[in-house]
Amino acid sequence: MRVGIDVGGTFTDFVLLDDSGGRIETWKCLTTPRDPSDAIEAGLRALEAQLPGCTARLEEVIHGTTLVINAIIERKGACTGLITTRGFRDVLELGREIRYAAYDVFAEMPEPLVPRQRRLEVNERVRADGSVLQPLDESAARETVRALQALGAESVAVCLLNSFENPAHERALKRILAEEFPGASVSISAEVLPQIREYERTSTTVTNAYVKPLTETYLRRLAERLAGIGFHGRLFIMLSSGGVTSAETAAEFPVRIIESGPTAAVIAGQYFSRLFDLPEMFCFDMGGTTAKSCLIQGGVAGIVPTFEVGRVQRFMKGSGLTIQVPVVDLMEIGAGGGSLARRSRLGTLQVGPDSSGAEPGPICYGRGGTLPTVTDADLLLGYLDAGYFLGGTMKLDAAAARRGIEEHVAKPLGVSFIEATWGIHDLINETMAAAAKTHIAERGGNPRVATVAAFGGAGPVHAWGLTRKLGAPCLIVPPNAGVGSALGFFTAPRAFDLVRSHKTPLATADFAEIERIFRALEAEGERTLRRAGADGRIEFARSVDARFIGQGSETYLPVPQGDFAKLDREELRRNFDAEYERLYGRTYPESPVEFVNFSVRASLPVQLLELPKLARPAGGRASDAVKCERRAYSGIAHEFVAHTVYDRYKLFPDASFEGPAIIEERESTVIVGEDGKVEVDDYGFLWIQKREA
Amino acid sequence: MNQREVQAPKPKFDPITLEILWRRLISIVDEADAAVARTAFSSILRDGHDYTCMFTDRQGRELAQGTLATPGQSGAMALGIKNLVRKLPPESFRPGDVYITNDPWALAGHLNDVCVLSPIFHRDRLAAFTACILHHSDIGGRVSSDNHDVFEEGLFIPLVKLYEAGQLNEGVLAMIRANVRTPDQVNGDIRSQIAANHVCAERIVRMLEEYRLEALDDLAEEIISRSERSLRESIARAPAGVYRAEGHIEQTEGAPAVVIRCAVTINGSDIQVDLTGSSPQVDWGGNVVYNFTYAYVHMAVKSIFDPDIPNNDGAAAPIHLIAPEGTVVNCRFPAAVAARMQIGHFMTEIIYRALAEALPQRVVAASGGTPATMQVFYGRRGDGEPFHTVLIRGGGMGAGAARDGEGSFIFPANGANTPVEILESDSPLIVERRELLPGSGGAGKQRGALGRREVFRVPSDAHAPLGPVHLAMQSGRFSLPPEGLFGGAPGARARFLVNDQPGNPYGLTRLSPGDVVTMDSAGGGGYGDPRERDPAALARDLAEGKIEWQGGVRVGGQSQGSE
Repeated sequence: MRVGIDVGGTFTDFVLLDDSGGRIETWKCLTTPRDPSDAIEAGLRALEAQLPGCTARLEEVIHGTTLVINAIIERKGACTGLITTRGFRDVLELGREIRYAAYDVFAEMPEPLVPRQRRLEVNERVRADGSVLQPLDESAARETVRALQALGAESVAVCLLNSFENPAHERALKRILAEEFPGASVSISAEVLPQIREYERTSTTVTNAYVKPLTETYLRRLAERLAGIGFHGRLFIMLSSGGVTSAETAAEFPVRIIESGPTAAVIAGQYFSRLFDLPEMFCFDMGGTTAKSCLIQGGVAGIVPTFEVGRVQRFMKGSGLTIQVPVVDLMEIGAGGGSLARRSRLGTLQVGPDSSGAEPGPICYGRGGTLPTVTDADLLLGYLDAGYFLGGTMKLDAAAARRGIEEHVAKPLGVSFIEATWGIHDLINETMAAAAKTHIAERGGNPRVATVAAFGGAGPVHAWGLTRKLGAPCLIVPPNAGVGSALGFFTAPRAFDLVRSHKTPLATADFAEIERIFRALEAEGERTLRRAGADGRIEFARSVDARFIGQGSETYLPVPQGDFAKLDREELRRNFDAEYERLYGRTYPESPVEFVNFSVRASLPVQLLELPKLARPAGGRASDAVKCERRAYSGIAHEFVAHTVYDRYKLFPDASFEGPAIIEERESTVIVGEDGKVEVDDYGFLWIQKREA
Repeated sequence: MNQREVQAPKPKFDPITLEILWRRLISIVDEADAAVARTAFSSILRDGHDYTCMFTDRQGRELAQGTLATPGQSGAMALGIKNLVRKLPPESFRPGDVYITNDPWALAGHLNDVCVLSPIFHRDRLAAFTACILHHSDIGGRVSSDNHDVFEEGLFIPLVKLYEAGQLNEGVLAMIRANVRTPDQVNGDIRSQIAANHVCAERIVRMLEEYRLEALDDLAEEIISRSERSLRESIARAPAGVYRAEGHIEQTEGAPAVVIRCAVTINGSDIQVDLTGSSPQVDWGGNVVYNFTYAYVHMAVKSIFDPDIPNNDGAAAPIHLIAPEGTVVNCRFPAAVAARMQIGHFMTEIIYRALAEALPQRVVAASGGTPATMQVFYGRRGDGEPFHTVLIRGGGMGAGAARDGEGSFIFPANGANTPVEILESDSPLIVERRELLPGSGGAGKQRGALGRREVFRVPSDAHAPLGPVHLAMQSGRFSLPPEGLFGGAPGARARFLVNDQPGNPYGLTRLSPGDVVTMDSAGGGGYGDPRERDPAALARDLAEGKIEWQGGVRVGGQSQGSE
């Protein structure tokens, strides 16, 4: 028996899975921001009440948390110091020196996590090839460490130039820190992630140091509380890269769990795309403030080597702190149920990217919101039932929403109320479709063959409209959108990704040396997994990042297992060209190629998940699930038409029906236009396709 | 425009449909943009976004442009494509035609920017144009800023058809290939530009079909007029008047500074920039073509008045530029133009200075990143392998009314630095320092951002290169520092030292093993009287070591020891 716990901004979600019986129990309660383990304990107690004895039978708790990302955004981490090579203490502040908003001369940059006075330098130098140009001056280094202590540092990051080629000086500093400043939490770049590019590595190491003390404290406390209520199994934490790892490893490298929360949905999508054998899937999760999406090709979500956190301008690329750790390739845009609608300065309609948030929320929530949102429009278009929101637990105020749209959108734009309302719904779909098209194009995908999978509270309301705009042939909606994403906790492999940079031209690289690098990475991966209690066979997957010499970014290339020294150089080159051509449409066989990074993913085989199947009633007809009819707006006919409303909980395998239809469940509503037809499969997924004309 | 169209009833775009179509247009260019990013070789050589995708209506009026385009290219292209399209009779375009040119006077001011232009047809009628301009890393020629005419600078491609009605003109391609050092890459880049145009054309036609539109003209009218109105509203709020400033730009040692005379007239919602009286064109590559001058005038106006409006022809309508032919800001063919940024980048700062009195909240003091600095180190490694490393950098940003200058940036252009670890693995050089320069930010109520120092050593041990290392540069601010505004002090000057002795930043420098090169980029100018600086901000500067005290006197705002 396993439980997945996702601590989100508003709610903490629980999914309990009984692997033997395929049974799923869920629970949802409010997040307790001051100490998230309060809500975890309360939720587990509630599950225990639902299923007495379950806590003691639990083998695993798998946990996704926003603790780390919130600490960075709110700047609530430790007082951190940084030690660098002499001459480079400002690397952290200089960054990559690019202006993220070309025309905005007042664009604000993120404040470095360590101010200049706590960035100290040591005398040492390693060359690009790893040889020592200047040995570390240990006695001066001891003074530097003492100086940091005197400055009040609680946590120390160490990032020296070229340490990915030779970590000796960083290791020496780690030893000195342990001797001179035993209370300090220490993060050295060679251990956090030994990758080339000093700014990215420094920023990553500093961020790790910044959140390490609080992550350690939180995870220790959580483990104690779990033990206190009778849990004897193991605690795992979701990594941003889509694997899970032990609480100990997470506490050592908290920078790897920054995107812990949203990753679960992607892993669930990955699982669905394999279950249904979908070659290309576009996962789309629309909540209150943002829409997150991800392209899954061949059952695998992309992993990117860097991302940003704590953006000064929320949706502006380049305005955040760079973190260089593997993370699932997630796109986030400011489009959610709470996105605000108004007249733009250019006299057109504008929806988002800013949001009414949880407080005050949309006007129809009746909690003080006065500006119209996407949810208000969805309600007035007849897509949401004012009496059945969150299963009827929350009444919606349609009249107030209508007044809001009249006043803030229809009148200022000089359009009718209904034009304004449909416009809000349609424009947010257009915004998401535009972002999705670019995201898919950049990854060499094709929306016209992709299956869209919708999650999240607002996702299913907008998904068919989005599918139409993308020209995608099919939309699937898993049962119970909230659980749908939390299922990812159970399908994620126990895995750890390791990387080391070593820049060397393919034509002259020492393959025996490369084999040694891979073996060292594999040994470390094995140690990490074994420490987390893994028995059983560990699988390794090797890859390299290579590029044309002079190129600014690298191309990921899987390489075969087995002795690298025995690989054929020319075949490797051909593989690189083939991969480059697959991704980018053409290659340059005459341009020399170099290796930059060597990576290993160490993982245990995934524990297979058996999704529960729905019962099939004898002689059941889809019409049995019909609740009523409701007039809702058709974006095709441009008028209100009768939609058949189905109760999702009464649908069964092989039930099928045509749009216009509305399928309601507690936490979300699926809208299907008159151009769609719906089929239900054995697991209760809705498969929605374009109706033949 | 033909008769039928004039008489056809104008379809009305309500503000919602308009927004949806507008967004679609921008997303179409962004998709084309992604196609270039994925396929081009040159654009990935550096971390800048050195290409622009755009399209225009059939009159050549720009409708949308990739959101990541750099200001220089983007402004120059909008003007360039309009002029090109209008030069050719409309009946000369056929489906499947693809034009190519790199004419600096027609486009973005130097030969490396190659443009591929395609007409788009819908239902057998010309509907729009799409263009992709890309900075090619190689265009042949003698790569240097001290050439005397454009012929030395590389291959000049006039506007010719690369494809005629879908048929490749092999001769044009062969001619290009024969004139460049890396023909396959140049060819590959041209193909990715064609692919981007193709993406654009296909998506536009699909949109026209989906919304049952005959052409883009009516939509263009709406987009352009609304953008124009938005910019005009903002300009009209500024006090009318004539505002003058004079810019002095240093050039090769010994030569007098280039003078830019600038009169900005705000008259209702129109803004005129008159550069009459500026220096005549020069005998090296610093000459700026009209389009490139215009690009940084446009950057100044847009950033002051309306930084958020999407780039299109409407954002250009209120701006009138007068730049007399034969001056350094509107050079005559065949002037050398390869180092145009050394002068062109100053347009923005000079306009800021002119408008500072009228719009003190909207401008910043001069920046150390004007102009951008480019350094090229080349030579042979110890094992005889050649190396060639291009570095770009800026300097401290100028301060504004509400905020200190923030960051070391290229401004008004843009681009990322090269990581030290990448540089050291690409070349035998050792970087000894890359750090902020305390005291280099111009003092003021708001302080200019610090310049930064970078120190390179040519190794003399077993890692020494074979023979000399050459260093070529494009840069500035060695004698004339970035000025402050409203009593703010200037930022520190840039410095170029070879073994601690002043070097010649405008010549080619030969370095031997053991030599040490120091490059200090300039600090940003301060804003307002330094005596009015908030004591808390001053205390923070001191704590962070961003300013220094020497013998009880604050150091900052002046370069130390360069005179």
